[in-house]
Amino acid sequence: MRVVQVKCPSCNTPIYSKERDRLFFCDKCNTLHVRDGGTDKVEYEIAEFNKSAQGEKVYMPFWRMYSSFVIRSKSVEGGQLFRLANWLKGGGDTGSLFIYLPATDMEPSALKYWSTTFTATPPRYATRLNFGGVRRLPASMTKDEATQMADFVVVTMEAEKPGVLQRLDYSLTVNDAKVVYLPFVYAQSGLVPAL
Amino acid sequence: MTGISVGLNCPACGGAISVVEGEDTIPCQYCGSMLFIEGDKGVSTIAFKSKVIHPNAVAATQAWWARGFKARDLKRVGQVTEVYPIYLPFWRALTRVAGWVCGYEERRHTDKNGKVTVERIPKEVMVLQDYNFSEIACDPGDLGIRTLKNFTGETSFADFEMIPTFEATTSKDDAVVHAKNDALSRARSSARVPHVTFERLHVVPKRLSMVYYPVWIVRYKYRDRMYMTGVDGVTGQVMSGRAPGDPVFQSLAVTAGASLGGMIAAAGLIFSDGSAEIAIGGLAVGAGILYVFYRFFRHGSEIVEGEFREKKGSSKQALKDIGSIAKQIQGGMR
Amino acid sequence: MGNLASIKCPKCAAPVTFDAETKFVKCSYCSSQVFIDRSGAGFYYAAPFMVDETNAVGMFRRWAAGSTKAKDLDRLAQIAGVKKKYFPVYMFKRDVNGKEQVVLEPAGSTTLPGLHSLKVPATDLKIFDGSFDIGGAELIKPDIEMTSYNDQLPGKPKEQALVFFPIWKLDYVFNQKRYEVVIDGSAGEVFSAEFPTRSSGAYMAVAGLGFVAFIAEGLLAAVSLPLALVLMGVTVVGVFVTALYVARRM
Repeated sequence: MRVVQVKCPSCNTPIYSKERDRLFFCDKCNTLHVRDGGTDKVEYEIAEFNKSAQGEKVYMPFWRMYSSFVIRSKSVEGGQLFRLANWLKGGGDTGSLFIYLPATDMEPSALKYWSTTFTATPPRYATRLNFGGVRRLPASMTKDEATQMADFVVVTMEAEKPGVLQRLDYSLTVNDAKVVYLPFVYAQSGLVPAL
Repeated sequence: MTGISVGLNCPACGGAISVVEGEDTIPCQYCGSMLFIEGDKGVSTIAFKSKVIHPNAVAATQAWWARGFKARDLKRVGQVTEVYPIYLPFWRALTRVAGWVCGYEERRHTDKNGKVTVERIPKEVMVLQDYNFSEIACDPGDLGIRTLKNFTGETSFADFEMIPTFEATTSKDDAVVHAKNDALSRARSSARVPHVTFERLHVVPKRLSMVYYPVWIVRYKYRDRMYMTGVDGVTGQVMSGRAPGDPVFQSLAVTAGASLGGMIAAAGLIFSDGSAEIAIGGLAVGAGILYVFYRFFRHGSEIVEGEFREKKGSSKQALKDIGSIAKQIQGGMR
Repeated sequence: MGNLASIKCPKCAAPVTFDAETKFVKCSYCSSQVFIDRSGAGFYYAAPFMVDETNAVGMFRRWAAGSTKAKDLDRLAQIAGVKKKYFPVYMFKRDVNGKEQVVLEPAGSTTLPGLHSLKVPATDLKIFDGSFDIGGAELIKPDIEMTSYNDQLPGKPKEQALVFFPIWKLDYVFNQKRYEVVIDGSAGEVFSAEFPTRSSGAYMAVAGLGFVAFIAEGLLAAVSLPLALVLMGVTVVGVFVTALYVARRM
């Protein structure tokens, strides 16, 4: 066992922080890294706050997994009418998508809400280079956990289509994973996106 | 022995740092440097404070003597000889299960003409839940305690030096595997889908900690024999124990079992109306009831409550036995 | 927790005492946090006796009164000797592909019951050194080398220890035959290889005859209810009285 000072793997600058966080961010060269068995740089994006955002600002970390999803076959009981409508709009069963997963620790219901919400309608934002002094929530989910949960998110989105899912033969490949810091503000109802 | 220890100081400023077992990142309290622990970091540990004191443990045990089919003179003859608290180590794991179980349920309807139709109700059930798991981290020996029933209470290491602490001797990785299996089976049964056609469940271990839980050991004497109860040091409930039984209760049990079982078997034969199925069914149910009561008759000379390996006198164990016998018979008939 | 081991603080060289199983300890002089790394060193542990001789005999009697033991064994067994002993066991913690595995192996050869199926029972482990009071117990010397296991074990060593655990060895005579049991001196579990048993025959006979009688009477009730009721009343009393006799005496 050994105690080491956490230094940026790019510029070797020591990292100072008061909060325990899986993801270490270097303020000097804007590098994000993680230490799970080794020291690995992590690709990331920081989204710009909406100009009109009111209230206390905070960044929430998400894993964004660029994935290809192939449904080989599936069977659904009931709800055919809706599926037909869906098919007419051109919603196929194969394609690529961005799966979003909150990397910060939260209740199962909140995790499901944010992941399905952002995966169904990917957020659009301008990016910036640093946090601009805004606090960020600590990350606790590893990339491996996020990959497992990504599978859960796509099955959930399939199952929540009308009809009762009976069988789903599919494959999901996560092509690359990125950390995305999305802007939120504290409101009376909890955290609200400020995109 | 100096070779086997290292002092922990901040590598940046040299200040002494405090490490909590189980955490891998610590900000240095002097210079604010982020520090990272490489290698074995241990497991985070908590201890519950014992709220129970000596007289409570004795009172709980005496109240327990009066419950159930224990020797009728136990309250009069039983004599508490020794009472002391111990700390028992438990692995406690929080595991998240996320996924879907899809399938169907079959319901049988019989109409007026005796025609049976089977209705198939499709089901899709999402499972997204955190499961708490606990298991004792040492061999439980004859304590009859294997899992934690209570996870709340004041935590403090204040009594740690005073109370004998049983050491953790089982592997933490085994505990994680057990926790995963437990979470998976609980998630599966919570979905309640009798016929599964599709299942995708992800099990993510979230936290593992070591919990030291106070248990009061109460030893008592009954006619030269030593028995024991374990009293929960936080809630004051009896967690496990052994007590002498009573021949009168054993005899009543077998009388009740033989009469009830015999009547049901007889009723089956009378109302069978030539149907072998009903006659055999009645006989089997009667014999099953007899078996449950017989177990108590044969082994009820000692009453055992708690998580012991063998529980001969217990009706739960007897029911389990019957269940497995019934399954074998069913399998054999097919 | 009087029995603490001591090391020198790596920073200020002051003696730092620590209890078994602690990974971190604070130096009381310079308040440095000290880590105890056991992967290299073999530790000696021993568990104190929490069961005294009277208790051990009482536990044996409780065990002997059990439903599978010969009737009245608890009263009729003549105790021929009670010995207080420490039995040695090696406890290895190994790192097998990143997973922790605990392996226990005997350190002393034995024929005593319960000690081949090895385990370290629930106990309060203390560092075993010169100041540990064995309380007059016989220390069974380890006659199997720790290194003889080291090569056969899977993975890399994390921690290894020799654990002395307390046992009571009790000999008793029943029907001119000598038997032995081992009672774990910390949690009170009783181990036994061979013991005088009790037959289930009488118990089964009572239950079986009662069951058959009630079936017959139930069938009779369809023909003549009053006669059947009288016979049932007689059978209830009969079964209860025989059962009580069997439960008390057989």
